[in-house]
Amino acid sequence: MLGPISEPVLLPGGASKEAWAVDAGGERLLVRRAGGGVIHRHTLSLRDEFEVLRAAHQAGVTVPRPIAYIEDLDGREAFVMERLEGETIGRRIVRAPVPELLPVQMAEELAKIHALPRERLPFLEAATIERLVDELDEVGEPHPAIELGLWWLREHRPPPREPVVVHGDFRIGNLVVDGDGLVGVLDWEFAHLDDPARDLAFALVRAWRFGADDLRLGGIGDVEPYLERYNELTGFDVLPEELDYWELAGNVGWAIGCLTQAQRHLTGQDRSVELAILGRLGAEVEYEICHLLEAQGVT
Amino acid sequence: MTERPTPDELAEAIEEFLANEVLPTLDDHRARFRMLVALNALGIVRRELAQLPPSDDAEQRGLAARIRAGDVPAGTLARVKADVAERLLIDSPRYLDRY
Repeated sequence: MLGPISEPVLLPGGASKEAWAVDAGGERLLVRRAGGGVIHRHTLSLRDEFEVLRAAHQAGVTVPRPIAYIEDLDGREAFVMERLEGETIGRRIVRAPVPELLPVQMAEELAKIHALPRERLPFLEAATIERLVDELDEVGEPHPAIELGLWWLREHRPPPREPVVVHGDFRIGNLVVDGDGLVGVLDWEFAHLDDPARDLAFALVRAWRFGADDLRLGGIGDVEPYLERYNELTGFDVLPEELDYWELAGNVGWAIGCLTQAQRHLTGQDRSVELAILGRLGAEVEYEICHLLEAQGVT
Repeated sequence: MTERPTPDELAEAIEEFLANEVLPTLDDHRARFRMLVALNALGIVRRELAQLPPSDDAEQRGLAARIRAGDVPAGTLARVKADVAERLLIDSPRYLDRY
């Protein structure tokens, strides 16, 4: 029925999940399969991630077409989706000529994601700033810069917004882009319920500008058209100062993320030099936290 | 200041990568031999590192705890930023040029 099936090719990247490219019946497919390591807290199982992808696809979010969930693919769970053509490597995207529509397209996708019906995805959990503190405490290392970031976030919390379904990792690197613009939103494993402004600000985090630091929106554009289009579509009236707040929160989250990734190596869950070095590269993110706090007038 | 991975933990991660992932892919005799020599050299580095006195993170722990308790007098950020910049000189020196 499928016709000829190509030999699967394991794609590089992805410490916790495998991605296999395979062609079957004239279709380009991608098989996302659980890795051998421990499943991390606060990430969705592949079954739930597939459900989120299906809901997003049905709602018209630009995503790879979901095809099938497979409970046991040679001992591990997996799902199959369309394999899109385009670039995902952040460094290449920010160095190539940026499609003019990309910032506005990113805003349009987020507006659709934030309108997904919560009841369709009852397994999604809410996230809080407090969870970041717990994660830092589990690492057990002293990081005064991260503490300062958390302190400022506690003291300057904007009025809370009604939690919506968020992607949780919406940034350059998790988007497929071609010469005309956005082709697909990938990597839904961090989907959860949260303040929509938090999701909107995550693409601003300096680490995800891939060296094109002057362009605050992911190294590809200015924030204003992105924010304006998002507000136009959602009516949420997210303020620039909320983006400042959640950009800082995104940096604090990623600084802690670097430490928890390094812990996976150090505790033996997942031995890898790539994870190990994140423990040191987190210093870059801590410096950015200090820089953003300075801009807020902290001394 | 103590940072993790420690120098020895980093050397260990490199050693595992070279021994478990790179060495088995090497077909060339000469490259295999030199890899084994390199792993030997790395072993020397690790034993040398093991003799260094452990570094003390008490000061950073105290500072982190005070900030957690909300005790953030003026000048705290400047001090913390200088400490992070010092770490970056080791961890990622070129990063500082981006500011």
